[in-house]
Amino acid sequence: MIVRLILALAAAKLAMYLSRLTGRGRGSSLPGMLALRIYPGLLKHYRGQPRRGVIMTTGTNGKTTTSNMLADILEHAGLRVVSNREGANLITGVAAAFIKSGTLTARLNCDYAVLEVDEASFPVVTRWIKPDRVIVTNFFRDQLDRYGELDTTICKVQDALKKLPGGTVLVLNADDPLVARLARETGKSALFYGVRPDAVLAGAAAYSREAKFCPFCGDTLVYSVYLYSQLGDFRCPQCGFARPLPDMEAINVNIDTTGTRAIVRGNGSNKGIWPVSLPVQGIYNIYNGLGAFTTALSLGVAPEKALDSLAKYTPATGRMELFYYDQKPVTLTLVKNPTGFNQALTGLLSQRVRQDVMIAINDNDADGRDISWLWDVDFEVLVKHLEQFNRFICSGQRAEEMALRLKYAGVPPALMTVEKDYRRAVDMALHEEGAAVGMLVTYTALWPVEKILGQRAERVSSHADRVPSVS
Amino acid sequence: MLTVCHLYPDLLNLYGDRGNVLAFVRRCAWRGIPVQVKEVNLGEPLNFADYDFLFIGGGSDREQALMAADLKTRVGALREAVDNGLVVLAICGGYQLLGRYYRTPEGREISGLGMLDFYTEAGDNRLIGNVVLEAELAGKKTKLVGFENHGGKTYLNGLRPLGRVLYGQGNNGRDGLEGARYKNVFCSYLHGPLLPKNPMLTDHLISLALERKGKDFTLAKLDDSIENMANEAMVKRLLG
Repeated sequence: MIVRLILALAAAKLAMYLSRLTGRGRGSSLPGMLALRIYPGLLKHYRGQPRRGVIMTTGTNGKTTTSNMLADILEHAGLRVVSNREGANLITGVAAAFIKSGTLTARLNCDYAVLEVDEASFPVVTRWIKPDRVIVTNFFRDQLDRYGELDTTICKVQDALKKLPGGTVLVLNADDPLVARLARETGKSALFYGVRPDAVLAGAAAYSREAKFCPFCGDTLVYSVYLYSQLGDFRCPQCGFARPLPDMEAINVNIDTTGTRAIVRGNGSNKGIWPVSLPVQGIYNIYNGLGAFTTALSLGVAPEKALDSLAKYTPATGRMELFYYDQKPVTLTLVKNPTGFNQALTGLLSQRVRQDVMIAINDNDADGRDISWLWDVDFEVLVKHLEQFNRFICSGQRAEEMALRLKYAGVPPALMTVEKDYRRAVDMALHEEGAAVGMLVTYTALWPVEKILGQRAERVSSHADRVPSVS
Repeated sequence: MLTVCHLYPDLLNLYGDRGNVLAFVRRCAWRGIPVQVKEVNLGEPLNFADYDFLFIGGGSDREQALMAADLKTRVGALREAVDNGLVVLAICGGYQLLGRYYRTPEGREISGLGMLDFYTEAGDNRLIGNVVLEAELAGKKTKLVGFENHGGKTYLNGLRPLGRVLYGQGNNGRDGLEGARYKNVFCSYLHGPLLPKNPMLTDHLISLALERKGKDFTLAKLDDSIENMANEAMVKRLLG
């Protein structure tokens, strides 16, 4: 067995080295795949090694950001952390993160493992590695051709959580009924985080709302406020299932082009009131920050230390990453499902300047081969503010269908260009007349577009070692 | 005035289903044909005679069971409307429901509405992927594109299919047929969604709805360059 282990680790480490040397890959997934081929039981050797514990983040959107924010906070507090920061969140990516930090005999020297784990992989990964804390961000429909139905995904995560040891603590999004239900369904103790349901934050994109019915009794859920999609202040009139009072709640959320500010109120065991500032936009980033903050405090990190780290957070590639082309701001955003896309559109609208938009849609396996979800994205909101847009450039393998979707949303065809070649599409967007550029791309378009953009424009901040490969 | 019924949008809204309603409405509106949409949800009153076009989408198993129970109480009225030429588009789960039964992997038969003479059996594998069909609409051959994702395999009992599969799996992956037609009812597994990507089918449905109303149904031509480009790009990619 030990021979196999060393063979697997040596092969993976060599593959990591080679992929970095040739600059072709990022070494975040393939070496793990190789090692698991040679030795499928590899992960059990890492079990119990992180001295203080393992924290996993799962859910549909925000896994990379939440997990990376938490890893930042713990490192900032002087702890040693192993993390799959690259966003490679299948079992192969988790293995690669351990292999990379460990020795050739699978020894780790770290306080925590902070791991982002894909929802479908969560049951597989937790068979080998038992987390002490599990953060669940949200559940939205995502790549139905790969995951099947949303219900199936939630059930798989729920069953895996039930099988974890009794001491496991869940850190749950209080505002998502599909997540909040997990406390009751699994019987595990839970900490909740949420955003105070303030009418000024209420979202309009209701079409991708997933949870219209109570998961316990099937009655229609009643909302006092929707924040976005199914997130909000929900209540079941029939059985009483309702948004739990969050242990950590953001109030007075204020979002502008420079970032997001809020007040966080600790209601549970960590009482207090703290101002939080994140250098990233969007209400979903408040959730990501809250998830990381709640977890960090539960691990004994001082709130001030955690807030200081959050204020310095650098987004991973494609998570509203900011570039400048001459004086013109260019944001690059990864889009993968209707809710994430709706949030990205809200981000564009909040810029309040006339802009050019490039959208690149691919339908490779990693993007999801079915692009029907584009018809569930609320592009109609753009048409209500058409004066804010100069030109829409549709690119990628499904450029034509993206243009078709925009046409049926009400965008005049004269404002659209179909350019399947990324390079020409990026250049066209940069050279148009708008005062800003928004680039929205699916997963396999992210790397080529990011590379082209990196050659043309100046990156505001960079973490060359933090490039995700699978999200 | 054409009136569209989007049946149970709260329950059945998988895979961009609303794109089908959007396409029907837009293509009417672009021609100045007055059109309105009524969303009818579970338990709400529904008189099929009030409508010119009925859209039934797909949902997950739990949602489809709720829908089936509700529709069964209205099956007589629906059959009468269909016999009177009501134009219906039923996709995926909505399609399966119109047939005689669905046999589960355990061999249990769940009865459908029995409006159309076909049956569906659960298969071992899901049929997932891009599809191209050749369909005949108003005497003209045309290529329809979409995406299929279904576990059930449907067998037609001699019923007319929507089209012949040129790429993909279709009803059951065996007989090369996709979808079903009966009077003005059109059924298909293609979501993706079907209508915006196949404007000739959308226009055919609009024509049938107008014809049924006794209106002059020569539809004005629209600039379909983007629609055709999207359709042709997929046909070319899949068939070479």
